[in-house]
Amino acid sequence: MGMVQKRKKMHSGDTHLRRRWRVRSRRRDLDQIDDDLQTKSAELINQQVDLEQTGFAQFYCVHCAKYFIDDHAMQAHFRTKVHKRRMKALELEPYTVEEAERAAGQGSYKAPKKRVIRTQPTKEEVKKGKRIQLEEKLEEDEAPKSKRKVEKMQT
Amino acid sequence: MRIETCYFCSSKIYPGHGIQFVRNDCKIFRFCRSKCHRAFKRKKNPRKVRWTKAHRKAAGKELAIDPSFEFEKRRNVPVKYSREAWQKTLDAIKKVTEIKERRQDNFVLQRLRKGREVEIQMDVKDVQRNISLIRSPAAGLKERRAREEAQEAALMDEDMPEEEITYVDARELEKKLEEGATMEDIEMMKA
Repeated sequence: MGMVQKRKKMHSGDTHLRRRWRVRSRRRDLDQIDDDLQTKSAELINQQVDLEQTGFAQFYCVHCAKYFIDDHAMQAHFRTKVHKRRMKALELEPYTVEEAERAAGQGSYKAPKKRVIRTQPTKEEVKKGKRIQLEEKLEEDEAPKSKRKVEKMQT
Repeated sequence: MRIETCYFCSSKIYPGHGIQFVRNDCKIFRFCRSKCHRAFKRKKNPRKVRWTKAHRKAAGKELAIDPSFEFEKRRNVPVKYSREAWQKTLDAIKKVTEIKERRQDNFVLQRLRKGREVEIQMDVKDVQRNISLIRSPAAGLKERRAREEAQEAALMDEDMPEEEITYVDARELEKKLEEGATMEDIEMMKA
């Protein structure tokens, strides 16, 4: 009778992501992956046979920290949105404890650098000596892109 | 004993507060409260969460680059106690915090001042655009019309003398021309 009927929240926080947030299902964090890319990408792409791992640890995506059963599956993964999203996330330097401390007042703020991220080279290329290199993205590179867009719009 | 900083929101963590997570590569992540810990577990990026210090500094909301931030540092080597040094550092800390706070406040003031200027401009524009709401466009229409008619009538009156003047001018010109012609004629005659 004119009373406010409030819905009881019985399942607040109940989400399918809960299991993924558990500590035991943690995967490599972005800053760890960034470290991998910079220091040991070659070893990770060209791993020794490990019978415990998926695909005997022969097909590894460094950006997503994931093993695949064969080359076909890995190439398919490179074309997925998950992989592209991860590459986009790695474009900016990852957040670190040092940045948190700088934000708290221990040192001045430093803007994170933007890098160019490309999908990793194949195993053959790595054996020949090709490595993942993180080049800094220059602002000049971005300017012509916008210009190109403008030109397209005009045409 | 040390006052730590939160990994997520960069606030102070006093002893006995918060929780810390040690990743399997020995890196320690400290959190001031369960809110920050939960956000970390959900893999939120502190740069994109608006209430964190990292976001506020990156977005230019607060003073971010200043030499006054260079005093506070993690010093892992303990300094041997001496009363004099202790006293001096205490004084220095007070002075530094005073200066830092003044600069931070000033930065925020300057930032907000810009908004005030924009606000004033917007107000002026608003008034100009909607002047009809303040002053009716029909206000004083009759008077204005009467004035315009009077002006027109005056112009009509003025038209006549103006023409006369031009007429006179033309005559004078003609005279002058005639004179010139006569002078020339005389000269011609002389020649």
